Amino acid sequence: MTRPGSDVEHPFEPLWRGMLVYRVLTLVSAAAGVLLSLDDYASRAGALAVLAAMVAWTAASGYLYLRRPVGPDRRGRVAAADVVVTFAVMASTPLVQTPEQLAADAAVMGSIWTSGPVLACAIAFGIPGGIVAAAVISAALAGFQAQLEAELPDIQLLALAGLTIGFASTVLRRSAERVRRAVASEAAMAERERLARAVHDGVLQVLGYVRRRGAELGGPAGELGTLAGEQEVALRTMLTSGPAAVDERGRRDLAAALRGLGSSRITVSAPAHPVELPAHTVDELMAVVGAALANVALHVGPDAPAWVLLDDVGPGVEISVRDEGPGIPDGRLAAAEAEGRLGVARSMRGRVHDLGGTITCDTGPGRGTEWIIELAREDPSWRTRSR
Amino acid sequence: MADAITVMVVDDHPIWREGVARDLTERGLDVVATAPDAGAAVRIARAVRPRVVLMDLNLGETSGVQAIEGILEALPETRILVLSASGEHADVLEAVKAGAAGYLVKSASAEELLAAVRRTADGFPVFTPGLAGLVLGEYRRLAGTDHTGPEVPALTARETDVLRLVAKGLTARQIGERLGVSHRTVETHVQSTLRKLQLHNRVQLARYAIEKGIVEE
Repeated sequence: MTRPGSDVEHPFEPLWRGMLVYRVLTLVSAAAGVLLSLDDYASRAGALAVLAAMVAWTAASGYLYLRRPVGPDRRGRVAAADVVVTFAVMASTPLVQTPEQLAADAAVMGSIWTSGPVLACAIAFGIPGGIVAAAVISAALAGFQAQLEAELPDIQLLALAGLTIGFASTVLRRSAERVRRAVASEAAMAERERLARAVHDGVLQVLGYVRRRGAELGGPAGELGTLAGEQEVALRTMLTSGPAAVDERGRRDLAAALRGLGSSRITVSAPAHPVELPAHTVDELMAVVGAALANVALHVGPDAPAWVLLDDVGPGVEISVRDEGPGIPDGRLAAAEAEGRLGVARSMRGRVHDLGGTITCDTGPGRGTEWIIELAREDPSWRTRSR
Repeated sequence: MADAITVMVVDDHPIWREGVARDLTERGLDVVATAPDAGAAVRIARAVRPRVVLMDLNLGETSGVQAIEGILEALPETRILVLSASGEHADVLEAVKAGAAGYLVKSASAEELLAAVRRTADGFPVFTPGLAGLVLGEYRRLAGTDHTGPEVPALTARETDVLRLVAKGLTARQIGERLGVSHRTVETHVQSTLRKLQLHNRVQLARYAIEKGIVEE
């Protein structure tokens, strides 16, 4: 029935509809009260006329409250008119009721129906509206009925209704405004991102081209090309890895994190789909891969190429960090570890073992060094993942 | 010059389009056409029938994957080499599944590009470690999904070994030495992993079309 998003555009609709349902129910109750004791009135015609006016006003005000397009201004005016009409209905009490009725503290004309405008004003104007309307209706109640003490509980209820509904309306207005602003800024962000993608793509193209031409021309142009190439890699990495997002389950995409390591020296191969693991696990694995890559730069050379492969085997993941350096001579790792001076192997092993995984080193003269980290997935949900 | 490889360059950025076209022309290739978007690429390719299409994936409002599908539908013999700066690995995987014969990043040098175009024209896949990682990942993903069946492609143990070694940066020759086979055999394995994926993709597309009533069964 309601359009999607209509709660954001018209947050007060449920309150207004609820108020009108209340109005109709109280009208039925008040009408029953009048019709059942019609013989008691000083003027039967007068009582019926007031009842007819109440029915007519309920219908007219209901139509005006809900007519589209709805606007706060019209609703405010109708709510104010509602107070005046209701006051008039109550003012007819001394004219249609007998002195006996008044003395016996019979219900004021309109009875419980008269609380309606308090709710309407509270919704339309917040707490001040609710309080003012409650005061007016209470004054009428006190003025047109003989026994003030008997009305005190009713007056308290009116004040309470004005206050609570007014408060609810004020809170609703504020949060609706906040939601509206959030939706607007989200749309603006999305648009900015779309524009940024086009701009970034253009910048990447130009940087990539400068790098290529620079390399071909050599000399000072070559240096410019190198600089452009570094910036190209940095920008592309930022764009493709995005923010290091940790999702609501505390998981992070290991593939995206590893891709962030890619450079002109480091080639990263990973699946196109996200490889999600607990954020802490990803942090630790990244530290291990980082240490292995630092080792390549230290022992093979700062410009030595290295390859990182993330293989999402399913029940687990395997990461390989490979270089084509001279390899680690037999026994050197163990010897260094025994001397207690080797941080690299120990810290890498320690981290992987703490995660419950294994790390092995495949090395030898002429075949470089390859670290292989294997880690089983903790939860079996990998099998049900979908695109 | 008569048997020079005919090439078409598709890129939405004029600086790249013209630059790459000039580089290839200077090195003896015959650049027969250029196009800025997917629609023009399909139209022009059908008219000039190039041997190799160099395809950027990010074509403004249109996508290179659409262009690849359109070109191969009309000209199945055309070889398509993706040359992309976007680093959009998901797009690269889609392009390869749609039938692209290889993938090169735009930061590759003019010599690397020339070699890749020559290889593509000769019918060999241009397989970077990054592409091997994507293809390997796709097979792993397919194996992990629930709907396994005869039609879901799977790697043989040897193909898995080869793909993993390519992804780790080894050359075909190095892989051949490690596995005790010729580098030609390694190339064949690599090619077969791509072909199975492309065939699977075509079957999926056809099934989708039949299900949606786009084509008659």
